[in-house]
Amino acid sequence: MKRDKTMMITFVTPALITFALVFIYPTIRTIFMSFFYVQAVTDSLGKWNFVGIDNYIKLFSSQMFVQSLKNIFNIWFWGGIGVFAVALLLSIILTSGVKGKGFFRAAIYLPNVISAVAMATMWIHFVFSSKYGLLHNVFDFLGWENMAAVQWTSPTNQFASMTVAYCFGMVGYYVLIFMAGIEKIPRDFYEAAKLEGAHIFQQFRHITMPLMRAVMRSSIVMWSVSSIVFFIWSMMFSTLDPQVGTVTPMVYMYALVFGRSIVPSDPTLLNAGAGAAVGVIMTLIVLVVFGIVNVTIRDKKIQY
Amino acid sequence: MNILKNRFNKQTITRLPGYTVLNLWVIFTAVLVTWIILASLSTTREIFTSTMLQTGFHFENYPKALFAHNIASYFLNSVIYTFLSGIGIILIAAPCAYILARFSFKGNKFIQNLFVGSLGIPQIMIILPLFFMASTFSLTNSRFLIIILYICLNIPFTVFFLLSFFATIPGSFEEAAAIDGCSPMRTFWIIIFPLAQPGIITVAIFNFIVIWNEFFIALIFANTSDLRPLSVGLYSMIQSMRYIGDWAGMFAAVIVVFVPTFIIYIFLSKKIIAGVTGGALKG
Repeated sequence: MKRDKTMMITFVTPALITFALVFIYPTIRTIFMSFFYVQAVTDSLGKWNFVGIDNYIKLFSSQMFVQSLKNIFNIWFWGGIGVFAVALLLSIILTSGVKGKGFFRAAIYLPNVISAVAMATMWIHFVFSSKYGLLHNVFDFLGWENMAAVQWTSPTNQFASMTVAYCFGMVGYYVLIFMAGIEKIPRDFYEAAKLEGAHIFQQFRHITMPLMRAVMRSSIVMWSVSSIVFFIWSMMFSTLDPQVGTVTPMVYMYALVFGRSIVPSDPTLLNAGAGAAVGVIMTLIVLVVFGIVNVTIRDKKIQY
Repeated sequence: MNILKNRFNKQTITRLPGYTVLNLWVIFTAVLVTWIILASLSTTREIFTSTMLQTGFHFENYPKALFAHNIASYFLNSVIYTFLSGIGIILIAAPCAYILARFSFKGNKFIQNLFVGSLGIPQIMIILPLFFMASTFSLTNSRFLIIILYICLNIPFTVFFLLSFFATIPGSFEEAAAIDGCSPMRTFWIIIFPLAQPGIITVAIFNFIVIWNEFFIALIFANTSDLRPLSVGLYSMIQSMRYIGDWAGMFAAVIVVFVPTFIIYIFLSKKIIAGVTGGALKG
């Protein structure tokens, strides 16, 4: 086929320009910015003061930021274990030949197409409501007075409540991915295993898991990338100011740069450079997770 | 006959726990949605006293949410943002994906890797310079800026998604068009672009859902009430609930946010699900 240079350039350039505009230039600028004291985001380069790694040191000595890292780790780790376990269970059930597979799959994926603000409202103002909520009514009906009286969105419980509500919605996505992975495995493997007398857990352990390595690897990366930007749910569970229980790095950064003061006692910390440093730290974490996952879960070339 | 029957029974029994889990999961989701719908049709007092619908259906919650709480104008903003940026994304991403899928040239793989890599960049990494640029060019608080941002931010994923669709279209179409004297650019828009429609429609639906539900960018760049899309509008409404106290109206607003993507999902869930699994397993 004839190569038309003009066409190639006109077709690729617009996409590259938008890419440079919103990804390349901002990434570089954020990295630089994180080493400077920047009073306001809108300050031009001339007003920046170089402070070395001072922003990073201040961040890691800020209790709120360290707490936000702990929170995001707990969401990533415990939430991840929960989501992956439930999604695996559901996808194994769904691929075992149940009737209405398509319907169940679609219903389980549904929360993923709904606005997180709407989903969080349903959870906070219905499921977790202490006056007329679903949990309250169910426990009340069962006669479990103690459980019915629990304040699910109070500071002591809000982190767990938020994580559960968030994970409920995320399960659907991983069910789709895991189901597609399981369905790619030839059925004869299972037939043969059954003939040899392998029960369902052995089949899972020796056939499903080893053949889903690549799927697991990309799922862990996806889960990490989506956990890092945990934001809406935290904003919904503590509407006014970031709270110790629910704060995440993105919320911290938002409050630091765009919101009201997060640490009124220490105005020197309040600078956009520290916000940039939060961005750099989170991006580094994504890279590190990606590296670890790639090294530990090796891709074996599988051919059926 | 007997053997068949036995077998059927045995299968049903071994699958019973599975069905129970699935049904519980789906029933919970259904209860969640049904309750919100019922609450949106009750009065605030009824919601708080668990006596929903006792005084009949209160459809007036909807006009109240739409007009008194501004949800209608947020809805219109969401429609404008999703449609205009949805079209813009396809017009820029499709030609680029076509070139990357069709021609091998130096830097092709590098560009593809750049696009894929950017999917891992969290928004907090780029938001501050974006805000700086917007204020330098005095673009803050304009619909135009929000649309441009949505276009730019969604191009990498769209290009990545469309690559495989253009790769499957045989090159003979272009050759035939060239013999007939059709210029390569015209050939793309008239012949190739329509052929890639299944992929383009799927990714357009994805972009629709993503932009309709987008929160962070809108929260930062749609500062004034008349620029807010639904997600941020609903958020600000919830924030002011402690002063307004119109809970029934709030649940009506939740339904207004919920319905468009829900309807699209009901009709297109097969396409959406196929798109999710196709896109994720490729990489």
